[in-house]
Amino acid sequence: MEQYLLVICIFLPLLGAFLLPAVGKRKAKLRNQMALFLVAATFLCSTFLLPALHSGSPLFLHFELPLGLSFGFYADALAVFMALAASLVATVIVLYSFGYIKEEADQNEYYMMVCLFIGAMMGLVFSTNLIFIYMFWEISAICCWRLIGFYREATTIRRANKAFIITVAGALVMLLGFIGLYGETGTFDLAAMKGIAIPSWVVVLVLFGILSKSATFPLHSWLPDAGVAPTPVSSLLHAAVLVKIGVYVYMRMFVATLQIDEVFTVAVPALAAVSALVSAGAALRANDLKRVVAYSTISQLAFILLGLASGNEIGVVGGMLYILMHSVAKGGLFLCLGIVEHNVGTKDLTKMGGLYRTMPLTAIAFLFCAFSIMGIPPFGGFFAKYLVIAGIVAEGKVLLASFFIIGAVLTVLYLTRLFVKVFLGEATFPQVKEGTPLMVGSALFLAVLSAVLGIGIRVPSGLAALIGRGM
Amino acid sequence: MPILDYITVSFLVIPLIILVLNNLFSKQFVERINFKLVGVVAILQMALAVAGFSLLSAAHWEDYRFSLLWDWTMEEAGYFAVNSLSLVFLFCIGFVLLVAVLVAKATVEQRKTAFVNLVLTLLLGMNGMVMVRDLFSLYVFLEIVGISSFVLVALFQLETGLEGAFKYLVMSSLATVFILTGLAFVFMQTGSLQYAQAWADWLSVQGTAQLYTYLAFILLISGFALKTGVVPFHSWLPDAHQSANTAVSILLSGIVIKVAGIYGFIVLTKLFPGFPPVALALRILGLLSIVVGALFALRQTHFKRLVAYSSVSQMGYILLGLSSGTTLGFLGAMVHIFNHATFKSTLFTNAAALSAQAGTLELGELGGLEKKMPVTGFSSITAFLSTAGIPPLAGFWSKLLIIMALWKSEAEGFAAVALLASILTAAYFLRLQKKVFFGQLPEKFGAVTEIGGSVKFAELMLSAVNIAVGVGFPLILLFFEGRGLL
Repeated sequence: MEQYLLVICIFLPLLGAFLLPAVGKRKAKLRNQMALFLVAATFLCSTFLLPALHSGSPLFLHFELPLGLSFGFYADALAVFMALAASLVATVIVLYSFGYIKEEADQNEYYMMVCLFIGAMMGLVFSTNLIFIYMFWEISAICCWRLIGFYREATTIRRANKAFIITVAGALVMLLGFIGLYGETGTFDLAAMKGIAIPSWVVVLVLFGILSKSATFPLHSWLPDAGVAPTPVSSLLHAAVLVKIGVYVYMRMFVATLQIDEVFTVAVPALAAVSALVSAGAALRANDLKRVVAYSTISQLAFILLGLASGNEIGVVGGMLYILMHSVAKGGLFLCLGIVEHNVGTKDLTKMGGLYRTMPLTAIAFLFCAFSIMGIPPFGGFFAKYLVIAGIVAEGKVLLASFFIIGAVLTVLYLTRLFVKVFLGEATFPQVKEGTPLMVGSALFLAVLSAVLGIGIRVPSGLAALIGRGM
Repeated sequence: MPILDYITVSFLVIPLIILVLNNLFSKQFVERINFKLVGVVAILQMALAVAGFSLLSAAHWEDYRFSLLWDWTMEEAGYFAVNSLSLVFLFCIGFVLLVAVLVAKATVEQRKTAFVNLVLTLLLGMNGMVMVRDLFSLYVFLEIVGISSFVLVALFQLETGLEGAFKYLVMSSLATVFILTGLAFVFMQTGSLQYAQAWADWLSVQGTAQLYTYLAFILLISGFALKTGVVPFHSWLPDAHQSANTAVSILLSGIVIKVAGIYGFIVLTKLFPGFPPVALALRILGLLSIVVGALFALRQTHFKRLVAYSSVSQMGYILLGLSSGTTLGFLGAMVHIFNHATFKSTLFTNAAALSAQAGTLELGELGGLEKKMPVTGFSSITAFLSTAGIPPLAGFWSKLLIIMALWKSEAEGFAAVALLASILTAAYFLRLQKKVFFGQLPEKFGAVTEIGGSVKFAELMLSAVNIAVGVGFPLILLFFEGRGLL
């Protein structure tokens, strides 16, 4: 009878989102609290899924439909892990939004879309049917479109449309792959497909969707452009929900359920290597705060993809940990940049400097998150990066590993450059103040969490190992 | 079952009675109530269609035959009949008529009596078309539909004046000539125009008279393609839609092209069973329409014109569904007919709201209106997502069924192109959203307000239907399964 937890997890944010505009018309404050409640409750419910998982009988719901459309929700280790990571970071982001977004118009739509986004993510990770995964995938694209275009200027609308078109085009190719898969197997139900070997052309079609959503070269160009969104939205896109959807589906389909050709254990990491290096180079050259971090996301996603595609348990566990660590650290990094950009009024790196004097806490939070992304021990990112590289080395692909080590070095370089340019040097904006306590607190929370997750790596790695064993 | 007699007859008798009533009393009196009466007729038609459907399936009957004043059991006598297919069409007709009358309340200010007369004639024609069981009666009712439609287009002489209506008239008569000649060939071959008879006879003569078969086939398919407005027979459609009153556009795009065109195609596929060129022709016409219609829509600068080209594109999906020759594809096509009626009516309702409140439908002049017109903005987004086949809206499911059916009938290439063409649909609607709703509000629209009354109600109702069908589609699938269709 605990299945209701699973239903709450998905439908509380999904349906609750539609109440927010109605509430917000009368009481803005109540709407904010409700939004926070919806997201936080989602996180709590996800943690309640853990006991059943550890006792070895994950919660499960199933509905029979014709045409191979039977669907269900399944709270296995992979799904719960993703749900926890996404809802935790999303909760902090909603809290932070209270400060960041308070002067803007369209706040009703903002909170509605954020909650809907989380709901879509929950639905996606728990769904067992490809068509329903596709459905939640597209709901997230709709939210993304509205949120990137939040400021309603000509450029933002153009960028929002670009993000929508690229991700939807990718998703349509992926859907074609799903239909191809249906032609081969007669079902869309993942539970019924376990262990089936699938033709490579299906994998390639599905990869289009995954790469477009997870902003991997050559379908990455929408993500840096999406930086025109409000910064909490960027944080949401980069850290909590959107880009992780692609890698999740890779994991769910090609690692946890289906068998794919050996060639993809080389082809996908190779593509990831190109993506990692190209975007790291771009991050070194970019002069827009958010572009640097966006390119960094593209580069880090390549590491995740490398881990998941390595075909090796160490790599997969590393990839999963990477998803969590990157979510927390990149979420925190964006929140710091949001404070900087909100208070300074520009996103141009070259005009900034010396902000550590006026924003010491933000600077510290930034540094912690950056350390985690660079992979410096004892921060969480170190363990993830180590395992991913160890995984690929264990497969004997040393050349690929060396490309990624170069990528890791570049990560250190561009993040250091960012920190130096923004926080060190001569103070160009001496009058700028630190952000509101709530905003700085949210950023610090994620920064400290990056360290705590590293020091207490046993907890997340236990769950990640469970995923690895379930393969 | 006498109750079915009453139900079926009322589809023809009710429009006739209201038509008489509409002209019986003084104009002042009639014009106060006639729109309401048409609304009631529309709701009644939907209710009767549902009732008929339940009775028919409860009795496990294939169809139910009836006539008006003559004895249809006599030999060689013509008769009407309803089956599940015609009841689905009758329901859609009622649904679109309801929306059209809600919008007409706001857009039709003059010539109300004439408008109602024509709408009722159109209703009679469409109801007749889907209930007749011989090709000649089909042709007669098709003509009633055609004539009342182009007079409706011409009635208000909007914008481009009579050009659209004239084009429609010319193309429509061309279609008539094609269809009538095609029927003559069928008659020469089979000696009967009763559906059942012609279908049976056709099978026996096939092969001996290839030339006539091909001639009849080409003429009929061109005729119905003209009526549907599929590429390359589409040139009249955008002009007619643009120059018509918006309430008329809703009728035309929402249901007339489907009853006059698509229903004709359905009859056609049954008339030529197992004739390989049928599937191929439908596929090619369908695919051409999808792609070319969408490409044209990308370049339009007028709201209604863009939406009209979108109809051309969407008709292609319906043809592809029919072409698969499987139950699944047929179901997909049927659901898409209903869904298209919903989302296309939504878009034309939006057009009515925009032209009433903002005063223009030129995309270049509009902008940022979602803040001022939230209901219109929201409903246009639901229609956009549904048309582009993006879940969880209704349009996704019908497209999915159609594409699955194509894939299963080994037309993978057609399935792939049809699916990927959705990106073009998304593109032209994103452009529409950007130009009209999403973005900064120009100063001149500072005083614009949301439309109220019946148009707003129609927008809300259509969005609700669109979302409900999309989210509740698993239940519809279970219903199909329960009836043994899947």
